[in-house]
Amino acid sequence: MYVRKSLKRAISKTMGIVIGLVIVIAIVAGALIYMTTQAPPTTTTKPKIEKVKIGIIEPLTGRYAVFGQEAVDAARLLVDIINNELGGVSSLGGAKLELYVEDAGTSPDTAALAAERLISNYRPHVILGAYISRLTAAVAEVTEREKIPLVMDALVDWLTERGWNYVFRLAPRASTHGKAAVDFVLEMAKKTNTTIRTVVVLHEDSIFGTTVANGVRSQLIAKGVIPNETITYAYTITDFGPIISRIRELNPDVIFSVPYFSDGILFAKALQASGIKVKFIAGAGGCGYTDPDSIREAGEAVEYFTNTYSYNPARQTQWNKRIVQAFQQKYGKLPTEAAGIIFYSLMFVYEGLEKAGQMFPDDPLNPDNLRAVFLSMDLDDSNSIAAQLYPTGRVKLAANGENLYGGTAILQVIGGQPRVIWPEAEEGVTPIFPRP
Amino acid sequence: MLPSPGLLFQSVLDGIFLGFLYSLIALGLSLVFGVMGIINFAHGDFIMLGSYLVWILANSLRSDPSLMSIATVPLFFVMGAAIYTAIIRPVLGKEPLIQIAVTVGVGYVLQNLALMMFRAEPRAVQTTYLNFYLNLGLVSVHVAKLISALLSLFIVLGVHYLLTKTWVGLAIRATAYDREVASLMGINVGKVFLLVFSLGIALTGLAASLWMTFGQADPYIGSSFGLLTWVIIALGGLGGVSGLLASSVIVGVIQSLTMTLVSPTVSLAIPYVVFIIVLWFRPQGLFGKG
Amino acid sequence: MTQVNSRNIFSIVLPSLIVVLAGATIPFLVGFNQYYVLLALQSVIMASIALAWNIIGGYAGQLDLASFAYIGLGGILATMLMIEHNITPWLGMFLGAGVSAALAFIIGFPLFRFGIKGVWYALSTAALVVILHEASIMILGPFDYYIPFVEGWYYIRFRTWENLYYFSLAVLAFIISLNLYISRSKLGYYLKAIREDEVAAEAVGINVRKYKLLALVIYASILGFIGYLYIVSQRTFSYNTFSGPQSVYVAIIGIVGGLGSVSGVFSAALILKIVEEYLRGYLGGVLPGLHLLLFGTLLIVVGILRPEGLSSLTDTLTRKIKVKVLRWYT
Repeated sequence: MYVRKSLKRAISKTMGIVIGLVIVIAIVAGALIYMTTQAPPTTTTKPKIEKVKIGIIEPLTGRYAVFGQEAVDAARLLVDIINNELGGVSSLGGAKLELYVEDAGTSPDTAALAAERLISNYRPHVILGAYISRLTAAVAEVTEREKIPLVMDALVDWLTERGWNYVFRLAPRASTHGKAAVDFVLEMAKKTNTTIRTVVVLHEDSIFGTTVANGVRSQLIAKGVIPNETITYAYTITDFGPIISRIRELNPDVIFSVPYFSDGILFAKALQASGIKVKFIAGAGGCGYTDPDSIREAGEAVEYFTNTYSYNPARQTQWNKRIVQAFQQKYGKLPTEAAGIIFYSLMFVYEGLEKAGQMFPDDPLNPDNLRAVFLSMDLDDSNSIAAQLYPTGRVKLAANGENLYGGTAILQVIGGQPRVIWPEAEEGVTPIFPRP
Repeated sequence: MLPSPGLLFQSVLDGIFLGFLYSLIALGLSLVFGVMGIINFAHGDFIMLGSYLVWILANSLRSDPSLMSIATVPLFFVMGAAIYTAIIRPVLGKEPLIQIAVTVGVGYVLQNLALMMFRAEPRAVQTTYLNFYLNLGLVSVHVAKLISALLSLFIVLGVHYLLTKTWVGLAIRATAYDREVASLMGINVGKVFLLVFSLGIALTGLAASLWMTFGQADPYIGSSFGLLTWVIIALGGLGGVSGLLASSVIVGVIQSLTMTLVSPTVSLAIPYVVFIIVLWFRPQGLFGKG
Repeated sequence: MTQVNSRNIFSIVLPSLIVVLAGATIPFLVGFNQYYVLLALQSVIMASIALAWNIIGGYAGQLDLASFAYIGLGGILATMLMIEHNITPWLGMFLGAGVSAALAFIIGFPLFRFGIKGVWYALSTAALVVILHEASIMILGPFDYYIPFVEGWYYIRFRTWENLYYFSLAVLAFIISLNLYISRSKLGYYLKAIREDEVAAEAVGINVRKYKLLALVIYASILGFIGYLYIVSQRTFSYNTFSGPQSVYVAIIGIVGGLGSVSGVFSAALILKIVEEYLRGYLGGVLPGLHLLLFGTLLIVVGILRPEGLSSLTDTLTRKIKVKVLRWYT
């Protein structure tokens, strides 16, 4: 038989109870999850639709939580405006939008679970998400299987090249960001008669940074400027010293930089400390430098830096001003990329629903019908709110779901504030090129 | 794309400065390991914690991060004592795997506490007086790094003095050498352990405030520092302060040179490759006494 | 009184058979609700990984923090063979197992030969993951994308999760049986002795290096085999698979479950996965990182108060069940 020391028995009883409790709690939790999430009976689309269910899956935990949270905030605001100010979807009898939020977690595992859970619990008609490309891909495979349209807010190019039928993306893809940065810099250089001989491309080495940087490089070469050197680094980098030394030696006129987030701040400060005079630093890819958090952390170091944005908060259309103001009122801060993408994506869905109600009155929420509607929409500032919220003011999707008129806005940090300077500058703002 | 001699020299200099700061970080770990045989996997995460603390203090008081060490060092000393009593002492007699596991748990807790409180946004201090470069012709010296390096060196030598020239130091070294004999000689081994562990943690508080004069805090810098510190200790052995300094500088220079000559990506992996090779062929480190 | 721990096929295969049969009913019980099937799949995979770790950590007592180095290596190889050369993973997984075993041998032989153990062993394995992470980026560029969809048993890839789940159950069964077999074999006996006191074991004449290396290679080959399963369940082919934190997480499960206890480790894997998903689903975003915080605390508590982890509880439970079953059977 098995002998136990009596002392151990004394401890083991209480510990045993504790551990037993943990197991019981886990089992009860599992059972509770099961009991409270019965799949709703599959409804055949009734003639009278009371509400349209919109799902949103964003990373609310982990290192991307900052972006995910803002996207969810934007979605809540938009749903509120659509339901109350715009009266719901009129072609569907005034049906309201109902938002269901799910946390994508930090890995494809959790993103897939999020998608499955969202679908099995609520069966939304359209889903938005998931900001990070590999999370979005995990979600897309599930939505593709279930035939639920997914409007993506992740930027990496290949998401629309996988042959999925039910994915859509309005936001400008990563390589577009890269191209835009180059176009902007070259245009400014011409305007101000600045010579650009040496160019350095600096980027963080994940798939996102690499895709954007490739966009930068190919556009540079297309315009006849050969980048002298490309420096890559892991975004967890803690010290830019050696990179700064290399830059000092190369003495570039322009640096194109694709940061992840925190590395951008570190780089800006290191560059400032070094005293190296670089004529211009153009960011690309939407992350870092010009967002309020980066400005706060880096202070003066990011003055005159630019970055490409998937959203133009200062675009002077009627609806854009309205929504930016509403966002600021409700959340006390300016919307950045993450929110902006959701603004026009969700508005696009709303306008699509309106059209679906007209085009397919018998079965408007059928995924294939919705797909046909989405692909048929040709939006500009005069006929669409979504277009008014979009940087280029034009939205038309290609067969693979990508926006043919994808474009970015470029922001510059002037006087500690992010200002839109390209393609149209904000009122009273002149772009500063090169850096004084 | 061959770098100029100036760049090479610059890179080596950068590496040396960073190396000295690493030596300060490694010192705490080395002391604890040498005296108590305890492996603190969470060592790097304490630096992370310290960095956040320094960020909060320096920003609210609008002063230089290095001055914050006045607050962080005593605070971390007390925290170290608390952790020793609550977590480390109970596992002293248990198998090494459990000892390591417990400190891994501490690291996990610290990392995720930081994640919960600060999200993943990096934090940098606004006012630093020393964040600029001095141009000395051939090379440029980042003043903040230079000062941190000098201060680290000073402290490391100070601790060395403590260990070799004072009674307390003697007690510590005796306990490290043979704790049973030491206790027979009347040394309160428990008190020595407490002191050494608290000192080790206090040193991380100091290192954090120096780091924040040119670096920034995010929940994951702990892992970067952690593994790197272990590489330094493996290289330097547990022989003494000179070995520690030398291996820290070597690691710093290797990292810096790889970043400059090869690529920053590779520079992440090279120290670890060196680590494994050293472990294979000279387990006592390059300077250790075996 | 029937022998409960005899080394016959019965006692080795039956527990895994029971687990498989019980597990196989789950998709039916939940009405093929994809969410639960996926959760079950991820739990089973995690349990498999943790039980493989049990061989090197629980039996041999080495704190190995490189599990995802082997998973990544084997998995990425099998995936690449499938994507680029259309070679079936049925072959690829075995190749993956072989490559990971080879890596384990290359790393382990010198490490054990030079007598590296304890924390230095742990650190070397942690370094290994980082090295593979960076090396893969250097060799393949920053690869991080969705694996193009192909369907069928040839690729072990399907639109819904059930088939993959059944496959993973079969793998789990094998690993459980392997664990039980080892624990009752001569190898297991030697490993336990080594874990208890390496010096004493050496003195008694056990070839410590040989058996540690054997345990390491077995563990690595299992992980190399599972690699493809892991990657295909994530649908993502990425250098992020070489994850240090994930490898530490596996070790945590192995420790909290109880070193060397099959039932303990299995339960720990399931419980931690369910708790993690529960927290994500219900509190997600409210308190990021909470589940990891809890696990860290649990690890500390287990280490201090209860180093046998869950095993004491689960072992007693399984023993009682075994006795009851046997009594009823005879």
